[in-house]
Amino acid sequence: MTSYSPMNITSRPTPGSMATGPAARPILARDADAIYWMARYLERAEHIARSVQTKLNLLADSGDLNPDLQRSLWESVAQTQRAAVPEVAGDPAMPMARWMALDPANPASVLGCITRARENARGIREHISAEMWEATNAIYWSVRADDASARFEESPDTFLRSITSASALLQGLTDQTIMHDQRWQFSQLGRLIERADFTCRTVACHWHILTGPLAEDLDLPLRNIHWMGLLRCCCSIEAYRKIASGDLEPLRVVSFLLLQEGFPRTVRYCVAGANQALEAITAQTSSRTAHDALRTLGQLDAHLRYSRYDALNDDVEGFINHIEHEVAAATGNLQRSYSLS
Amino acid sequence: MFDGYQTSGLFDEMFSEPGVPRAHYKAIYEQLTSLGTEAFLRRARMADASFRNQGITFTVYSDQAGVEKIFPFDLVPRVVPDHEWQTIEKGLEQRIIALNLFCQDVYQRQQILSDNVVPADLIYGAKMFRREMLGVKVAKGIYVHVCGTDLIRDDLGNYLVLEDNGRTPSGVSYVLENRAIMKRVFPSLFGKYRVRAIEDYPYNLLQTLRHVAPGHVDDPLIAVLTPGVYNSAYFEHSFLARQMGVELVEGRDLIVDNAFVYMRTTSGLRRVDVIYRRVDDDFLDPLCFRPDSMLGVAGLMNAYRLGNVSLVNAVGTGVCDDKAIYPYVPDMIKYYLRQEPILHNVKTYICARDDDRKYVLEHLHELVVKSTNESGGYGMLMGHQSTKAEQKEFAEKIRADPRNFIAQPVVQLSQHPSYVGEGASGGFRGRRIDLRPYILYGSKPIVMPGGLTRVALREGSLVVNSSQGGGSKDTWVLGPPEEHDPVAVPAEAQQ
Repeated sequence: MTSYSPMNITSRPTPGSMATGPAARPILARDADAIYWMARYLERAEHIARSVQTKLNLLADSGDLNPDLQRSLWESVAQTQRAAVPEVAGDPAMPMARWMALDPANPASVLGCITRARENARGIREHISAEMWEATNAIYWSVRADDASARFEESPDTFLRSITSASALLQGLTDQTIMHDQRWQFSQLGRLIERADFTCRTVACHWHILTGPLAEDLDLPLRNIHWMGLLRCCCSIEAYRKIASGDLEPLRVVSFLLLQEGFPRTVRYCVAGANQALEAITAQTSSRTAHDALRTLGQLDAHLRYSRYDALNDDVEGFINHIEHEVAAATGNLQRSYSLS
Repeated sequence: MFDGYQTSGLFDEMFSEPGVPRAHYKAIYEQLTSLGTEAFLRRARMADASFRNQGITFTVYSDQAGVEKIFPFDLVPRVVPDHEWQTIEKGLEQRIIALNLFCQDVYQRQQILSDNVVPADLIYGAKMFRREMLGVKVAKGIYVHVCGTDLIRDDLGNYLVLEDNGRTPSGVSYVLENRAIMKRVFPSLFGKYRVRAIEDYPYNLLQTLRHVAPGHVDDPLIAVLTPGVYNSAYFEHSFLARQMGVELVEGRDLIVDNAFVYMRTTSGLRRVDVIYRRVDDDFLDPLCFRPDSMLGVAGLMNAYRLGNVSLVNAVGTGVCDDKAIYPYVPDMIKYYLRQEPILHNVKTYICARDDDRKYVLEHLHELVVKSTNESGGYGMLMGHQSTKAEQKEFAEKIRADPRNFIAQPVVQLSQHPSYVGEGASGGFRGRRIDLRPYILYGSKPIVMPGGLTRVALREGSLVVNSSQGGGSKDTWVLGPPEEHDPVAVPAEAQQ
């Protein structure tokens, strides 16, 4: 057998300026982007599913509700996703629920979010664990299955519960089966920013409707049920009861969802967590452009932490608008810092 | 379940004569017959669900309906006894060494051409010949680092080489996943055999990639280059990157600066040293090859030619797996190694030769005609199953561009029992199979003890490609027999 003559390669200097940075193994910017969006879409699917589930339960036993109020409560579910609202004649409950859950024409549906989460996951198989991938696939094939519509019609509650459970499972797997390096931090960032965003929008929509003219005729028990509905949409009813023991005063509900310390569903918690995740990422990546996003989130974190309960008194919608604006500014900066676009 | 199983006229892997399994299939045969249809189907469904939940899918280009499909998996494993494998292994090692020497020769001194062993016009006429590679020194002189060689068995059971895949052979991920799933579904059967492990393939591949890192690098950064999630083999690209623990990149993640290749990360640019590229030559570098390629990296070839980055496989290996050059591989083995070929080729007519072309045109109805530049079962004429019109069409194509065609006699591939569904014509039926073992070439050739056994699931079909409705099965290469181990001693060896 002929042997090969080894090549003589004289060692070349490598351009040092381009290869600086910490020793931790870097990840592709495109992959970081996909991890972030995978987490966001899963979180979003969970929120939509829970909102639809809550509204179906709530509106099932308040049949004599003003039809306009009923409709606007349903529309608020679509509005939190800035989704188009379909024309519905008659009782809007099932058509709207179907539209938000499974309609292929609605990109903001649960189906759409799960599909996009899985598309992102498919591109980053080497960054997520096999368990995460299989759980993503399982829920994807479950909502894509031929009998998905039939299962939804038969029991919307069971169907939607399977979505929220899958999201909980995936969050658990994300926490327990991958390294808590920047991959996990990007996932945290996506999840918490999505949750902060959703909570702000849901609170704003409910505040608008329930303190507006349509709700004037509601008697107190029914009004309380709707404030409880808001808490349920945000998965917060049980935690709220422990703090407020049955007091459903609107400002108290809203300030709980925005400002409560130590509860993972509140905006304050999400902003603080996102801020921490971003701090960890910038420490690992030495990215200079991320500093704008860090500054914005840090200021917002301080604002929420040191705001008094009565800061909301004058202007709830203005207060929420400010949070939403700052979160949007931070995510815009993030995109510029870390994604390819 | 074996009622109505036909073995007539073909080499059957499982049965030496009707109803009599070969020694190395006895345990499998007994388990299958005692299992019953219901239990077998339950296992088949388990396997399918497992493939789907793990996203082990491929994409069919011509199929509008669904982009993702499960590669049909047949649960009956194919068994290759040790003494047969010994020959295959030696033959494949010999072959990959010769192919590498040939590539090196073609792009360097071209002695085999000046000695007229291989006609020079055949090389320069090859679409996959890359003049950009002339005189380029590649790391360690290795061109074909990963090769998938397709083997078939004729009606006497002789193993023949049907073709080499020396560019970017795919399918190895299915080999590994098929095995993983067989272990889950038929754990008891493994206890009755000494099946050789194949799980070290990703490790060996990684060692091969590290072996060819540019000389200036101590700890090379290695990446798998994929065309992206919509490529038919994306699952495999992602699988191998994960198994090796290396980066999976697309062309848009890479840039070339000052003739070095970098990837864009969250921490800025990182130098990439070795690229296991699963992108064809044509799409690698829009500055050098197809200018419309969105999959490649501008300037990559320049970095490669300067030795700043290694590509696996090398650019230009298409000259060694060109179907019109394939008939010369035995001559290469004799020329470079002074050895007789251990594995034989299928008799091949090269339409570029006048005599051969005349014969092919007269015998189109009994030959298989293949385009030299197509793969995956596209662009073929199966003479004995074709219509007059198809033959006429191919005759015209051959006259117009003889260099583009070869022809081979129809080889009756061996058959293997496969489950073909329920009903009167269901149960186990013989279906044609081939075998694609994978060979790595780093510091030495390593033949994976196993490979992808592809099955033509359509009755009577000889085309096993997944794009043409083929499936696959697990392939068990057995370890050397022990005296007290009657299963592993083949009937042929006992006589």
